[in-house]
Amino acid sequence: MTKILTIVPFPMSEDDIARRSRQRDVVKLDAGTEITFRPVRVSSESFMSQHDWILMDLGVCAAGQSAQQEGFDAVCVDTMSDSGVAALRSILTIPVLGPGRTSMLYALSLGSTFSVLTQWQPANLRYRKVLRELGLERQCASVRSFDIPPDFHSLLSGKEDKAFPLMLETARRCVEEDGAEVICLGSTTMHEAHAYLAERLPVPVINPGPLSYKLIESMLALGLTHSARAYSPPVMPKPDLMAALVAGEE
Amino acid sequence: MKRVLVIVPFPMSEENLLQRKQQMNALKSRPDIAFDFRATRFAPSNYVSYHDLALADFSIADVGLRAQDEGFDAICVDSMSDSGVNLLRSILDIPVIGPGRHAMLTALMLGEKFSLLAMWDRWSILYKKTIADLGIEARCASIRSIGVRPDNQALLQGKEDDIFPLLEETALKCVNEDGADVIILGSTTMHQSHAYLSSRLPVPVINPGPLTYRMVDIALSLGLSHSKAAYPAPLSPKTELLRRIGDRGAAFAGSAT
Repeated sequence: MTKILTIVPFPMSEDDIARRSRQRDVVKLDAGTEITFRPVRVSSESFMSQHDWILMDLGVCAAGQSAQQEGFDAVCVDTMSDSGVAALRSILTIPVLGPGRTSMLYALSLGSTFSVLTQWQPANLRYRKVLRELGLERQCASVRSFDIPPDFHSLLSGKEDKAFPLMLETARRCVEEDGAEVICLGSTTMHEAHAYLAERLPVPVINPGPLSYKLIESMLALGLTHSARAYSPPVMPKPDLMAALVAGEE
Repeated sequence: MKRVLVIVPFPMSEENLLQRKQQMNALKSRPDIAFDFRATRFAPSNYVSYHDLALADFSIADVGLRAQDEGFDAICVDSMSDSGVNLLRSILDIPVIGPGRHAMLTALMLGEKFSLLAMWDRWSILYKKTIADLGIEARCASIRSIGVRPDNQALLQGKEDDIFPLLEETALKCVNEDGADVIILGSTTMHQSHAYLSSRLPVPVINPGPLTYRMVDIALSLGLSHSKAAYPAPLSPKTELLRRIGDRGAAFAGSAT
C-alpha cells in the first residue's frame, strides 16, 4: 500500500474536495496507491500577490508537516504555485512534489518549448517567478491567460461552454503565435478541461495534477526523493509553532 | 498489457543481454508493462565521438523503425546518448524515451544542480550535447569520470571491488567540491553500482535505465507522447532506405565476426 497525501491549498467543503479529487480518476495509478486529499486551514483568497503566496506557504507546510509521522509515503501539493513545497522538503525525507516545477520540466521531455495556459492575468506573475527560479525563461514560449477569474471551489463547473472554447483559442495562440510545442495547464483546477483541449490541440497538453501523482509513484518505485543538499533541514524545527499559527482557523 | 521495446545499443550475446535486463530489478514496484529487450544488429565500437553517434542513430533506429507496426506501445533507448531518439520520434507516434534527457530533467525535480558520474571522460560529449539541447548549462555542477575504460558487454561484473569505491569517491567530489545536489549515473551500463552508491552518498542517485521504464508508464498512463511540433514528420519518409541501411549494417557486422 502506497499512501500519498495531496494538500489542497484552500480551506474547502467535502463537496469541493471531491471535485478536486476527481483528478485522480483520469489516470491509472499503481495497484495499492491511495491518495488522501486534505485542505489547508489557512490560505489566501486568491493568488496574485506576495501576501497570498506567503500565506499559502504557511498553510501548506502546516497541513503537511506531520505527513511522515502519520504514515504517508509521499506528499503532493495540489497547486501549480508549488506553495509550501520547499518548506516541506526541508523537514520531510519522503518525496514532496509540486506540479509547477515538475510539469514544466516534464514538458521539456516532450518538446523544446512550452507555454503555460493560465486562467487569470493577475496571477501570471507567479508563473514568471517559477520560470526564473528554474532558469527556464528561454524554453518558455509564453504565459498566456484566458482571463476568467478563477473559482477555486467549483472550478470550471457550469462555465464549460464559455470557458473551454476560450481556453482552446488561447492555447492555439500559444502554439501558432508563440511557438509552444507543449502546453502546460496553468492550474490543477483546470483539469476538467484537459480532455477537451488534448483532443483539439496539435501538441501535447500536460494535466499537472495527475502527472504529479504518476511522478510520485515513480520516485517511490525508484527509491528517489529530493536532495537534502538542496533543501537543508532547519537547525531547530518548530512544528508546534507552525501548528499554533494556523490553529483555530478553518 | 502494454508492450515496450527496450533497444540495447550494442549487438550482444543472450548472456550479456541478461545483464542489461537486470536493470528491471532496481524497481521497487513495476508498472504493468512487458519489456522486450532487443540488441542492435550493428553498432559503433564505443559512443565517444561524433563519428560513433552518427552510426548509432542508424543502428538504434534500425531496431525501432518497425516497433509501432509490431504493436509496441512505446520505446526506451538503453543509452544515455539518447541516440536514435530524435530520428524515431520524428517518424513514430508512440512515446520514445531516452534516459539522457529524462535523467537530467528528473534531477532538477529533486535538486538545483546535478553532476554526471561517468566511467570514462570520453563520454562527456554525450552529456554536453543533451545539456546544450535542453539549455540547462547553469544547472550542471560537473561531469566527472573515474578514468576507466568501460566494458559495454560484461558491464561492471567482477570489477565491483575496484570500481565501486572509485565511483563513490568521485561522486563525493561532485557533491562536496562541485555543489551537486543530485548524481546521475553517466551510463545505463553502470546500473550495477546504483545500490552501492545510493546507500552511501548523501544525495539522490539517478539510475537512468530504470527511470525510463517508469517514464514510459507515465507517458502511457497520461496518454502523452512527444510533440509533433518539436519532432515534425519528414515530408517524405525514407523508411525503406533506413531499412536497407540497417540490413547492410547487419550484414557487415555478421561478416566481420
